[in-house]
Amino acid sequence: MTKQTAYEKPIPLKTPDNHEYWDAADRHELKLQKCAACRTFIHPPGPACPTCGSPETEWELLGSDISATVYSYIVSYRPFLPGFQYELPTVITVAALDAAPDVKIMANIIECDPEVVEIGMPLKMTWVDVTDDRALPQWVLNRG
Amino acid sequence: MATYSNQCAIVGVGENQRSRKSGTTPLHMALTAARNALEDAGLEAKDLDGIMNYSTGGDSCPSHELATYLGCHPKYVKDISGGGSSTELLIADAVALIEAGMLETVLIYRSMNGSSGVQVGRGYDPNMLQEMLPGGSFIMPYGSASPSQWFGMFANRHMHETGITKEHLGHVCISFYEHAQRNPNAFLNGKPLDMETYLATPDISMPFNIHDCCVELDEANAIIVTSAANAKNCKSKPVFIAGMAPRTTHSHVHYWTQVDEVAADHAAAELYKSAGVKPEDIQVASIYDCFSWVVLRQLESYGFAKRGEVGDFVAAGNIKMGGSLPSNTAGGMLSEGYTHGMNNVLELVRQLRHDYKGTERQVKDCELGIATGWAGPDIAGAMILRN
Ligand SMILES: [Zn+2]
Repeated sequence: MTKQTAYEKPIPLKTPDNHEYWDAADRHELKLQKCAACRTFIHPPGPACPTCGSPETEWELLGSDISATVYSYIVSYRPFLPGFQYELPTVITVAALDAAPDVKIMANIIECDPEVVEIGMPLKMTWVDVTDDRALPQWVLNRG
Repeated sequence: MATYSNQCAIVGVGENQRSRKSGTTPLHMALTAARNALEDAGLEAKDLDGIMNYSTGGDSCPSHELATYLGCHPKYVKDISGGGSSTELLIADAVALIEAGMLETVLIYRSMNGSSGVQVGRGYDPNMLQEMLPGGSFIMPYGSASPSQWFGMFANRHMHETGITKEHLGHVCISFYEHAQRNPNAFLNGKPLDMETYLATPDISMPFNIHDCCVELDEANAIIVTSAANAKNCKSKPVFIAGMAPRTTHSHVHYWTQVDEVAADHAAAELYKSAGVKPEDIQVASIYDCFSWVVLRQLESYGFAKRGEVGDFVAAGNIKMGGSLPSNTAGGMLSEGYTHGMNNVLELVRQLRHDYKGTERQVKDCELGIATGWAGPDIAGAMILRN
């Protein structure tokens, strides 16, 4: 089996709309966009609020202690992108934040036996340093 | 009732020989499908004044090119980017243009080397996905790049919520594979499927194994739409466009953030209202089947079974020949072939014309049928056809 040498997976592309989110992730923190008019969180971030259409948005730091529950998930046995061939199967989840259940964040559940994953299972956010200056938010099982 | 109801008809359908490796270009395949549709209708290329086509990632040939090599000069050509439900969308556009008096006869086609060329189901180019897809940078870094993964996220939650099991997905596959055994042109003709084999097949992306995924092939399909008045002069039996919901969407473009909703949920009311019929009036169906679960989810959206009862509906044989809603009677995309939904519409037209009369493939005396399209949880469209 071929060994992985460098990080081959796609690294999140920063844009004017999303860089605050990824900049915070690089510092191992979760920061979410919020509508200044109707106060709902906006995720993924964008140029305006999908709930009310207001272009007035701000950012809220939620910190590094982030819990969530599995809203849905899949187990992928085939790599569809570079870099995923080294650690199959891959668990991908969309998790609902405990602090704001309407916010769903997609990530892998890492260090986890795919067989034990269930909808509703508690998760905790962690950050994996993928290069010298980039980090990727991920989920791990929250064992309390 | 909407003005377009029964004012236009499908008068011709055609395809090329489907295969894993066509050895030719989408243009050649589209020409064959178009000529066969013209022959079916008893029309000549010069009778076409509109040609429309849909493609994904430039995998087809442009309408203008097809027109040139059919030897005609239509006054209107259109090429759109799209997958599932684009057949319904373009038929709706054709109907609107015909109704407005701008066009008389429109040919719509889909041509793709879906096996030997661009394979939709095998994922997309990483940079394309991150830059082009809305919110791509929030899904790509996690390995989510294939429709099997995107739709699987919806399937697993829906199955969890409604009690649909892996066996229920298997019943969809087995029903359509059974239909393919009556269709010599189905790619999986001669390859029936039983539940034991199905359940023993490992997943590619949970909950989908290879049988739950459509058969990607090289093929082209074409459909000709004209006014009801012109249809009288065609040699084929017209199949009227009785109602449409051309294109509905999920409430959020980042549809993965809300997997309890699909675009098809928003199509049914408009569809049935425009045709003046109810789900129980429908006698034959073509349900978009890029994945087995997509069929189950749409049976719920379009009101053929209540939420929570869809699994039992298919397990009882209702989507098989002889059931209450014989569906994808040529084998569907799961076992006949995959042209982003158009081949299922061709079969529905042939059923409603009673082309198979006297054989076990004919849905007896059917008069009213539904075709549903599904680009994804984000985009859907549907139409009701009657003979
Ligand atoms: Zn707002």
